[in-house]
Amino acid sequence: MTEYKQDQLREHVYDGIQEYDNRLPNWWLFILYATIVFAIGYWLVFHTFKVGDLQIAKYDKEMIAATEAQLAAMAGLEMNDEALQMMTTLPDRVAEGRQVFTTYCVVCHLDQGQGLVGPNLTDGYWINGGTPMAIHQTVTNGVLSKGMAAWGNQLGPKRVQSVVAYLLTIKNTEVPGKEPEGTLEEGTE
Amino acid sequence: MTMQATAPVTKHVVYDDDVVRAFALATIVFGAVGLLVGVLVATQLSFWQANFGLQWLSFGRLRPLHTNAAIFAFVGNMMFCGVYYSTQRLLKTRMASDLLSWAHFWIYQLIIVAAAVTLPLGLTQGKEYAELIWPIDIAVVVVWVVFAVNFFWTIARRNERNLYVAIWFYISTIITIAVLYIVNNIQIPTSATHSYSVFTGVQDALVQWWYGHNAVAFFLTTPILGIMYYFLPKAAGRPVYSYRLSIVHFWSLIFIYIWAGPHHLLYTALPDWAQTLGMIFSIMLWAPSWGGMLNGLLTLRGAWDKLRTDPVIKFFIVAVTFYGMSTFEGPLLSIKSVSALGHYTDWIIGHVHGGTLGWNGFMAFGMLYWLVPRLWNTKLASTRLAEVHFWIATFGILLYVVSMWISGVSQGLYLRALDTEGFLMYPDFIESVLASKMLYHMRLTGGLAYFISYLLGMGVLFATIRKGSKSTVEVEVEALQPIRLSFLKIMTGAPVIYAAALVVLTCIFLMAGTLGTAFALAGFVVVIIAGALSVGVEKTRKSWHDMIEAHPLSFTVLTMLAILIGGLAEIVPLAMEKKDVPALVAAADSVWAETGEYTFVQMPYSPLEVEGRDIYVREGCYVCHSQMVRPFRHETLRYGEYSRAAEFIYDTPFQWGSKRTGPDLHRVGGRYPNQWHYLHMMDPRNTSPGSNMPTYPFLAEHAVDVSATAGKMKVLRTIGVPYSDEEIAGAAESMLSQGRLISSNLAEADIELAPDSELTALIAYLQRLGRGPQPTGAAVAGEVAATEVH
Repeated sequence: MTEYKQDQLREHVYDGIQEYDNRLPNWWLFILYATIVFAIGYWLVFHTFKVGDLQIAKYDKEMIAATEAQLAAMAGLEMNDEALQMMTTLPDRVAEGRQVFTTYCVVCHLDQGQGLVGPNLTDGYWINGGTPMAIHQTVTNGVLSKGMAAWGNQLGPKRVQSVVAYLLTIKNTEVPGKEPEGTLEEGTE
Repeated sequence: MTMQATAPVTKHVVYDDDVVRAFALATIVFGAVGLLVGVLVATQLSFWQANFGLQWLSFGRLRPLHTNAAIFAFVGNMMFCGVYYSTQRLLKTRMASDLLSWAHFWIYQLIIVAAAVTLPLGLTQGKEYAELIWPIDIAVVVVWVVFAVNFFWTIARRNERNLYVAIWFYISTIITIAVLYIVNNIQIPTSATHSYSVFTGVQDALVQWWYGHNAVAFFLTTPILGIMYYFLPKAAGRPVYSYRLSIVHFWSLIFIYIWAGPHHLLYTALPDWAQTLGMIFSIMLWAPSWGGMLNGLLTLRGAWDKLRTDPVIKFFIVAVTFYGMSTFEGPLLSIKSVSALGHYTDWIIGHVHGGTLGWNGFMAFGMLYWLVPRLWNTKLASTRLAEVHFWIATFGILLYVVSMWISGVSQGLYLRALDTEGFLMYPDFIESVLASKMLYHMRLTGGLAYFISYLLGMGVLFATIRKGSKSTVEVEVEALQPIRLSFLKIMTGAPVIYAAALVVLTCIFLMAGTLGTAFALAGFVVVIIAGALSVGVEKTRKSWHDMIEAHPLSFTVLTMLAILIGGLAEIVPLAMEKKDVPALVAAADSVWAETGEYTFVQMPYSPLEVEGRDIYVREGCYVCHSQMVRPFRHETLRYGEYSRAAEFIYDTPFQWGSKRTGPDLHRVGGRYPNQWHYLHMMDPRNTSPGSNMPTYPFLAEHAVDVSATAGKMKVLRTIGVPYSDEEIAGAAESMLSQGRLISSNLAEADIELAPDSELTALIAYLQRLGRGPQPTGAAVAGEVAATEVH
């Protein structure tokens, strides 16, 4: 084989067209290899090891961040039904609420909220009202005459909100348990 | 070679340049038509009145005519012109059959005329760049077979042992377009002019963009690269820069291109894995594409002085530069996060015009200015005017592309902008349209400049033709001595084995878990090292590539394999996923029956909605409206829940669209009252001041052809839509009763609309979009009866 030389013509001529056989430019080869390495790496990260978020996971995070931002903007303002309802879409807050619930509330309401000493929290009947703010009020200040403690000071506002958010997620899930007490909330069957 | 003993036999060859001249003329004429329609539709986007109130000239019908004319009539004829001229000379033989050459020419022109008649009439398949109705599709397949037979027969009769790189590109074009066109057009006719694609929803989207993207690759790119490899070194009088670059970029280009289709569907309901394949293969396409640009530009080394004097070289340089720019912009736009901004906007319009006007248009005139004087045995009528053409065209395309870049990016930013509270800064879509108004005028100016310069170029070419006379080229060539090459030996050559190993490892890599991935990655390294070592050994013997260049069958088979792998890897797994659909549908049906709740699984359209959808397709609504809400907060705030794959299982053709000149429509159902839709369709400015949408009063006057609906439903049932016999038998009644509901609802607002009008059907369809079944008259009549009994 002959030595490589720049601008060396090949033997063949096609209709007068000649061809050199020059080496591929290094920067071109670099682009070729770099894009291949990138492609392999991208697949590894997002599909083999699933480290990165694909579109739906990214979307869910985007929505959570937006809700958090809105709640942050409301900080210092009074809680309201809408804000508490909004919080049920935040997995972190609901998980925190569940944690609070399993630590402090299960004694009277049992693990699924189906009720023992305290009422069933998964039916449509409420003794002190089932709206988000009514539940918030009950948790914060308690209903001493019925044996419900006031948790406001102990848990602090954030954990109270979280547990209310959690309660809203189990509301109307109808877990069989204690018989209904109180009145049927409007709009539920 | 041991055949030296036999004396060389010389043959007398007369090239068939008549058919080349015919294709050249067709190119010149149809290019003007394509551009003229382009200027008209650009005018309509600036001034909606420019359709003169005629349904046949409305944007939704003309835009497909513009794209089809530019791609298939202009670039198609230019490709055939260049292929027929260069192939004969590169193979040193006349085209195998004059009859086939002329059959190709005339059938192709008839197809173009048929397209120009049917598209304005609203006869369309509703898939981009595949709008032509089924009878024309059949003619396209026939013409392509004629072309292929003629071409490969010519190769068989060649007097040149090895195939030059231009021929490689032509082979890949012929093979791939055949595969793409046939698969994407598999459909069942419902009448002589109407059919439904057998693919639905996500599958249809994937097949369509596998086709659509590779129409760009194998119709607008590979044949034109072949033409570049012939005409550019000819015009420059310089050798091609690098043969080995030709080999590397040819094979990598055709293998990688075919995978890239899903980059048109990023952030849609297409599964993530397919989207990622589309993105990463598009990125890997950057270097192979630039290989072609390099071989073009570097071939011009030492010919730069001609740049000052020769318009041909000027056109070629700008063409190749635009090719380089577009093939950088393409991978860039394929990055998911860039696509999130640029998709559905004018950026894409700028991108494709950089490709078509910049790369194809300038290549066409580089070729024609070189070729026409030779075909008519004279000199170019005016180099000066050709120069003027060049400068105005360059100005026009730059103005066009830059205005679309600005417009596209600003649309993307407008539509995604959120305020500090996290809500839409510009809640009304029309705000983004109004922001683009000036840029639309700028684009029109750029397009007009390009068109005017084209007319100038046309004048120069016709003047050249008039002063010249047809030439006949006759040459004496040495007949090809037959040599024996073993197909089996070629197909088991080291490069094939290594390439096959890489493909298998890639499949393992894409499908396997952690362990398989490690195996595949280790395998890559081993194969690459083994390959590198064996290349050194190989070089001492006769090069393997030299052998396949002398053996067209092997070359064609390998090309076919290279282009099939990507398509199979993407389409087959998705086709298999479809099996899970029945369970999903059953679950959704039971939820719907019990609670009336829509669970993001589609239920069949009512007969009236089927007709409404066909009107939506006919009017080309998809040209400006998408039906695909992407999972972004700014989109779900604006349009509603993001779209799911299961919501499109009965949609054929899919109507996801690729451009939003107007807002997305997937969740428009129930958003506005019927009255709003009526007023909007009569004149969109009634409800959306500043809109550039055409008016559709004729829909209110035309009646739907009720007799065809049952037949359509039967075809849809074959495709998989679960219509019962009763539903099909009762189609006409159901349509009338659902139509009556809408017209009586409109009558409450003192609007008179016939229950069987096309507008009624369209409103029924629009009201249905993105949600469950709507009351058809029959059910409501039943309910009314029931309440009366109580």
